[in-house]
Amino acid sequence: MSIVIIILCAISAVLAATMLFTKSPITSALCLLGVLIMTAGIYGLIGEHLIATIQLVVYAGAIMVLFVFSIMLLNLNTSDDDLKKKPAIFAIGLTLGLGVFSFLFYAIQEHYSNHQDNKVMGQFTPELIASLGGNSKVLAHALFSQFYVSFEVISLALLVALVAAVVLAKRKVN
Amino acid sequence: MFDLAMMMAKILVILGCTLGVVPFLVWFERRGAAWMQGRVGPNRVGPFGLLQSLADVLKFMFKETFVPAKANKFFYLMAPIIALIAPMCALSVIPFGSKVIVNGQEVFLQIAQMDTGVIFILAFAGLEVYPIILAGWSSRNKYSVLGALRGSSQIVSYEISMGLALLSMLIVFGSFNPYDMVAWQKETLFGFLPRWGAFVNPFGALVFWIATFAETNRLPFDLPEGESELVAGYHVEYGGMKFAAFFMAEYVAMIMASSLLVTLFFGGFNMFPGMGMLVDLVVNQFQFGAVGLQNTTAFFEFASFFTKVAFFMFVMIWIRWTLPRFRFDQLMDLGWKVLFPLSLINLVVVTIGVYYFNS
Repeated sequence: MSIVIIILCAISAVLAATMLFTKSPITSALCLLGVLIMTAGIYGLIGEHLIATIQLVVYAGAIMVLFVFSIMLLNLNTSDDDLKKKPAIFAIGLTLGLGVFSFLFYAIQEHYSNHQDNKVMGQFTPELIASLGGNSKVLAHALFSQFYVSFEVISLALLVALVAAVVLAKRKVN
Repeated sequence: MFDLAMMMAKILVILGCTLGVVPFLVWFERRGAAWMQGRVGPNRVGPFGLLQSLADVLKFMFKETFVPAKANKFFYLMAPIIALIAPMCALSVIPFGSKVIVNGQEVFLQIAQMDTGVIFILAFAGLEVYPIILAGWSSRNKYSVLGALRGSSQIVSYEISMGLALLSMLIVFGSFNPYDMVAWQKETLFGFLPRWGAFVNPFGALVFWIATFAETNRLPFDLPEGESELVAGYHVEYGGMKFAAFFMAEYVAMIMASSLLVTLFFGGFNMFPGMGMLVDLVVNQFQFGAVGLQNTTAFFEFASFFTKVAFFMFVMIWIRWTLPRFRFDQLMDLGWKVLFPLSLINLVVVTIGVYYFNS
């Protein structure tokens, strides 16, 4: 099991590097898709089927389709020399990326080295979740009871975005 | 060890059944078309032309591997592979029988037993857009780009009504797990009618069924490859085995869609009414014990599932040679202005109904 996880991690690392360093936007988008699918595979292998499936449905099945679709339609194939013309932007991006990465690395490293002993577990253990009828049931109960108001507010926000998209896409508003 | 062998056996059976049925389906599509149109059809190779598909495969294999000069080679070659893999992965969560007992251990007849089975299928149905986009884009041909645009917009549009019809059934079953769904459909309605999803939620079944035609790019919704307008749509530039892979993928997707339809709306692997007597007959004839009873039941359940799926495949072929192709605006109108509102209203009605019956 763990060997498969390591293989998936290695593939996703290679894909992520390709995504960063490739020059064609569509290759980049498809590498990101590959990373997302590999991540879903890792989630599935550690037994979290719900999050793996949601990852596939939402990111791989919906958001990345949008990415690939718009890249194809806009035909962004000539971004070859964009970065060469603007080294300042590239430098700023690189610095910011490195900063975020080192901060994350520091936080994770510190968490695992210092707080191993006094970490506080949440209320849901794998046994409790299994006895309550699986991840999807627990999540549904939490969404529709404890976080009901936020759930509804988020769906309203999505509705607003939907209406806005229709208005923007319509050429003439009567 | 037993687990590994069991898993490999299940995967082999599913893959073997799916891919093994494809040549027969291709033969049936051609012979059935000829039969419906009063022609003879392919009848030269083998008895009734049954070996025609084999001859076609041989021809495809020995054709030159041709890649268009301006194509993006990597994605061009990857598209048919994804096209075959996505529907096959989705097949892994479809239960095709309850369980058999081998060596005293229970073997559930489903490859991946997941909590979230049905959403998993939806996830892989979503991935079926990529081969179309990739094939169309990477072969650098105007016809194929147009076909890819049509295909992806069609699949994305019909996925919404398909998802809503599925959601209404999820509310009825109260579970994502295909086994729970099939178990729910085992009961009877009013004493004689099997409690199949299609009888509980007929509009959901209708919307879902229509949407599967669009999802699998079958006529009357095969706009992405409409030969009269786009030559062959997104796979214009594909030849030989690469074209055959797309062709096979279409049939695998049809099998997947029919299996999903059967699992959700037509009782899954539940036996046909009256088949229980047949099981009793066989068990009494051969003096089977409890293990034999379970295995015989599983066999008949698999037979029922296979029959149901075969029936829906037949209907898909039948419709292909009965209805003419839609125009693209008609297709979009049907998807967004008819099926989408219908499935939304149906969802509300089903929700109220389930609330009323459960309280």
